[in-house]
Amino acid sequence: MADVNRGNRPLSPHLQIYRLPLVAKISIMTRITGVGMMAGGILVVWWFVAGAYSPDYFAVADALLTSWFGLLVLVGSLWALWFHFANGIRHFFFDLGKGFDLPTVARSNWYVIGASVVLTGLTLLLV
Amino acid sequence: MVQLTLPKNSKIRTGKTWPKPEGAKNTRTFRIYRWSPDDGENPRVDTYFVDMDTCGPMVLDALIKIKNEIDPTLTFRRSCREGICGSCAMNIDGRNTLACIFGMDEIKGDVKIYPLPHMPVVKDLVPDLTHFYAQHESIMPWLETKSNTPAKEWKQSVEDRAKLDRLYECVMCACCSTSCPSYWWNADRYLGPAALLHAYRWIIDSRDETTGERLDDLHDPFKLYRCHTIMNCASTCPKGLNPAKAIAEIKKMMVERVV
Amino acid sequence: MSYKTDYNAVAGLGRANEGVHHFWMQRLTSIALVPLTILFLIPFGRALGGGHEALVATYGQFGNAVTAILFIAVACWHFAIGMQVVIEDYLAGGARLVLVILTKLFSATLAVSGIIWPSPPSCSAPEDRPNVCLSNRTTHL
Repeated sequence: MADVNRGNRPLSPHLQIYRLPLVAKISIMTRITGVGMMAGGILVVWWFVAGAYSPDYFAVADALLTSWFGLLVLVGSLWALWFHFANGIRHFFFDLGKGFDLPTVARSNWYVIGASVVLTGLTLLLV
Repeated sequence: MVQLTLPKNSKIRTGKTWPKPEGAKNTRTFRIYRWSPDDGENPRVDTYFVDMDTCGPMVLDALIKIKNEIDPTLTFRRSCREGICGSCAMNIDGRNTLACIFGMDEIKGDVKIYPLPHMPVVKDLVPDLTHFYAQHESIMPWLETKSNTPAKEWKQSVEDRAKLDRLYECVMCACCSTSCPSYWWNADRYLGPAALLHAYRWIIDSRDETTGERLDDLHDPFKLYRCHTIMNCASTCPKGLNPAKAIAEIKKMMVERVV
Repeated sequence: MSYKTDYNAVAGLGRANEGVHHFWMQRLTSIALVPLTILFLIPFGRALGGGHEALVATYGQFGNAVTAILFIAVACWHFAIGMQVVIEDYLAGGARLVLVILTKLFSATLAVSGIIWPSPPSCSAPEDRPNVCLSNRTTHL
């Protein structure tokens, strides 16, 4: 306190210079996928609502969701869902105080990325 | 609150390139953040060339060599040069660490040195840590007891003492807190990994008799729950500690109290 | 110039005595979503693109309908909780307050919309009153 010069001090660079480790990049991706998959979520709920409205209106929704644009959003959201899901599972372990040492984190990073791809492929195969 | 770009007074200009040392065959390039409170100019990044044949292996060795031989105005904190005082914490090659125990052989290409991220700068590589220290003070980093003081000492079993390992070693260098994006955006209310690691160190100390009050003090959406386990703190700690795990243990205790 | 001490700045308005419930609900909803996601995706993916008959055939089944309602409701709840944290992280003051409220309204609306279900085959709504089937629907479930 009572330091006259404090107001003029510059803020040191942060995002501009910090080399984020992979685990931090996965963390921000988890947030982005969590918010982003709402695009698919809105489409899906609209599909249900259209179905309740009338068969004709539903045909429009069903066609839009299975058009190339609809499928792009849905498959994107599906990958986002599984990515968020996979890192969510890792967070269960974190919340239990497990898997915090850096070698384990380095391994689980790739489990999360791998699982998101495999689960997306598996879902597309099954349905 | 998030501000992705730097404020106007903090934007970095290209700085000065200092002359190469005469006769040196094996030089290395250093790009170092400079800001002086005296000239009213924006921060800049200066370029220095250090003769590696006559320089020690650590980044701090090079900084001291620059200050002694090239530019005496270069300002940084340092003291013990063996990783126990925590003074020379700075951002080297994109991560926070102690200059004295970070070897230059671990860096590829030019050595880029900045002050600890998202902090007010006092001069060059010296950040203002007053807020960080006040946060540390707020978690009451001392033993609190209610029983009568024993005649000799507060005893602790070997097992209970072992619970403090990987916590007590913290040297308060601020590498972890200033690596944390949550701390960047919300340092006014979020205590940050260092203060929370210290909070946990006293919460699990078997001799402390205010565990509940300590947990009460942290029960807040911002003080504690801004931690989203991004893991930058543990990834960057120069002492190999794991603040993220300590915070997870506090969150576990918080849940244990209600379910 | 302020003469507030550094300690004063850290103390702020003090602790809120809140946070563990929010944290716990985020975890509980995420655990619930693990089976719900899998149980929802398979029938949904199969019914998608199959026209109104496929929709009615799939979601006329009690299990599929309940799973889908639960999935949408819990997912919206989880979204509301998570989105609040995102907004609190990045914004402050009035913008934070308004957006948190809007998020909750949006999530609640989406969750309720997801409970409106396709008409059973027996119901044929007159052209001018398509909503008749919606009220039928409630009794049907």
